[in-house]
Amino acid sequence: MSLLNLSYTKTKLKNGLEVIIHQDKSLPLVAVNIWYKVGSANEKPGKTGLAHLFEHMMFQGSENVAKEMHFKYIQEAGGILNGSTSFDRTNYYEKLPSNALEIALWLESDRMGFLLKALDESKFENQKSVVINERLERYDNQPYGLAWELIVKNLFPKGHPYSWPTIGFKEDIESFTLDDVINFFKLYYSPSNATLVIAGDVDAEEAINLVEKYFGEIPQYETPPFPQTENFTLAENFYVEHKDNVQLPRLYLAFPTVKCYQPDDAEFEILSDILSGSKNSRLNKRLVFDEQIAQDVSAFQFSGKYGGMFIIVSTAKPGISLSELKKKILEEISLIDSKGITEKEFLKTQNGIKSNFISALQNIDHIADHLNHYNFYLGEPNSFEFDVNRYQSVKPDDIQKIAGKLLSKNYLELNIISKES
Amino acid sequence: MSVTRTKPELKNEIKFQLDNIATQTLENGLKLFYLRKEKLPMLRLNFVVEAGGKFDFLSKPGTARLTSQVIDEGADGLSALELSDEFDLLGTDFSISADNDFIIFSLQSLTENFDKSIELLSKVILKPDFPEKEFEREKKKLTVSIMQLKDDPEMIAEQIFDKIIFGNHYYGLPVRGYLDTVENIFPDDIKNHYQKYFKAENSFIAAAGNIPSEEFFHYAEKYFNTFLSSSEKILLPESIETPDKKVFVYDKPDSVQTEIRIGYLSGRRILSDYFSKLLFNTIFGGQFNSRLNSNLREKKGLTYGIHSHFIYYKNSGYFSINTSVSSENTFEAVKEILNEMQNLENGVTKEELEFAKTSLTRKFPLNFENYRQLTSNLSALAIHNLPLSYFNDYLQNLNSVTLEQVNEQAKKLSQSDMKIILVGNKISFTEQFVFNGFEIVDVDEKGMKAKIK
Repeated sequence: MSLLNLSYTKTKLKNGLEVIIHQDKSLPLVAVNIWYKVGSANEKPGKTGLAHLFEHMMFQGSENVAKEMHFKYIQEAGGILNGSTSFDRTNYYEKLPSNALEIALWLESDRMGFLLKALDESKFENQKSVVINERLERYDNQPYGLAWELIVKNLFPKGHPYSWPTIGFKEDIESFTLDDVINFFKLYYSPSNATLVIAGDVDAEEAINLVEKYFGEIPQYETPPFPQTENFTLAENFYVEHKDNVQLPRLYLAFPTVKCYQPDDAEFEILSDILSGSKNSRLNKRLVFDEQIAQDVSAFQFSGKYGGMFIIVSTAKPGISLSELKKKILEEISLIDSKGITEKEFLKTQNGIKSNFISALQNIDHIADHLNHYNFYLGEPNSFEFDVNRYQSVKPDDIQKIAGKLLSKNYLELNIISKES
Repeated sequence: MSVTRTKPELKNEIKFQLDNIATQTLENGLKLFYLRKEKLPMLRLNFVVEAGGKFDFLSKPGTARLTSQVIDEGADGLSALELSDEFDLLGTDFSISADNDFIIFSLQSLTENFDKSIELLSKVILKPDFPEKEFEREKKKLTVSIMQLKDDPEMIAEQIFDKIIFGNHYYGLPVRGYLDTVENIFPDDIKNHYQKYFKAENSFIAAAGNIPSEEFFHYAEKYFNTFLSSSEKILLPESIETPDKKVFVYDKPDSVQTEIRIGYLSGRRILSDYFSKLLFNTIFGGQFNSRLNSNLREKKGLTYGIHSHFIYYKNSGYFSINTSVSSENTFEAVKEILNEMQNLENGVTKEELEFAKTSLTRKFPLNFENYRQLTSNLSALAIHNLPLSYFNDYLQNLNSVTLEQVNEQAKKLSQSDMKIILVGNKISFTEQFVFNGFEIVDVDEKGMKAKIK
């Protein structure tokens, strides 16, 4: 599919900043997207949540940009902007009318090279309370909101870079000082630790000249090595129970698997689609459609640079026990292990994947983020075809085998149950 | 400061013009809106039927939602699972939703599979079987999801807000219905709902894709020319009476945060004040740099975010401010919001208005990037009866709004009777409200007066 073959140019500035430019003239828009190769996985226990809190500080102005003006300049230009932090990386992005490219580059370069002098205690205390509120709103006050934290904490070995949530533990967030933020910047925000993607209605040569103009003078420094991790197994099944303000109990099964783009990663993803991706998927049909013992069920493979896990989540209907759900879920996976999957199930999944890859090319900002994603994980930004082939080369037999592999693993079981029970 | 480190100027303004929207009405009255978009080999469409939750006012709340859940559970002899498999085999995304006004069928497919996909869609819309077995399952799913509502403070806040704002008007009902009303819905109710409201002239299709408009119209005609028409117009009573008490509280003792909703009825979408409201809201609470967010998040650190918006249903609309704050800051947050509203009596500044105009003008092309945006923009034209030239005249209409017109909106808001809805741990904030002269009204999750615990 030539549609999935995207052209680009890739260069590196003297200070180590990697630059990828992709031209797409379908609309007069440009997307700017920077990945810094640091996320919560680079944090230390006791200092969890620092990468994310730091991301907030990047929006508080820099030496030549007053507080609140970063947002204002982008909005004045008709653009949108945001940033996000995950286990593996932190990204910052803008999408603007293409004539405003220079404003985005100026703003991004100012906070990459000239952030520290603009930081102060009042900005820091303000954003610390914003982040504490974010944690309350998105996790503590959400039904089942602590599930992710409980899973990563209990599944990954002590000290593993995925064994704490990206938002951070509450007591860690509260303990941070301005010095923590300053030191974090000095460790990880070197231009040599970042990749800048520009995608859209731009001229490549003009764009690279602008990048040189704004980013060229920023000095680089050495950044710490990436954490090293090995895939692991659990010595035995592990059970955790948590009481929450919920009406219905919910079951989580988490199996340690593989890192992203490792062998088996695509197979686990396809297995998750066969199990729960459609109305007639195995688990949905059995638990939700036929027996009506679950309100919902979903399975997914989560994988990153430092590890992966396969997760199954299901909410019980009133009066149904989680052990019954678990028994039937494992039975269904055993059936795939013993009998395999049908041609039709396989075709449904493959056609869905093909549609999704094309649909994902609609927005220029998604394309920019994807170029950065592939560059970070695979070293090759134009990996759309490679990626789709990764799924299309899987055979039905491989899914049967992967179901067997999953069943042979010990797993973590989390039950979130009603406080009243 | 070196030259490099000063803000670069924009070189020249970008000219952007949306392609012409093609439109046609089939003989049975079904309206078609289409926009060609060449970028990718795909199409997306919304098939929109005016059969939403508002009509439950005449029957049982939850009926429209349940109809939307069961309508694709078997059609033209295909079982629920066969239908779902057919869509999946085509790699086509198909989903159905129900809101206050409409039941909406959304379809996104590769162009090569569009013919088969729209044919399947026509089976669902024209020939649903409504099997009883599937009905019972979907009904149970709906009742369980209503039970789960009690877990979610945001959803409780939305449901109470609608009730307080709209009172006994049909928009005050939750589309999902209540536990006791859904229990009383039977298969005949949804069949009646379908027969009464699924009519060609109550419906439209808004689509975007890479085929020529004639070809799209041909498919629509081929598969939907047998969609029945009806001359019967169903009228709903329009009177709105809302209570005038001030602070409505739903007690959720285990909450660590309070969900806050503040708002008032602001009327349906009309061209004469839409743009002044849009500009006013952009300044007040519509974007990151708004007055509300600058104060409550960036200055006071009280919240992760606060937004306001005008929401437009087909026949009415409201203004609302939404945020959540930690329990002990509830009163302070409400006080700050009310202060910001009070400040509106002095109006907004010329600079604020210019900034909002510039931002929205330049952002305009970003609204037409993906297929979902295109179909929802076309849907808005159909729903609110906007002229086909609406998007061509958009920038001119936006930029001709005067400071006086925006300040009229600001003043209206500062003087309106705002309803305050709080969902959270009541004991942590009640005293401060009472001490400051507010009257507390306890409500249940339906927004009805509750006995004090």
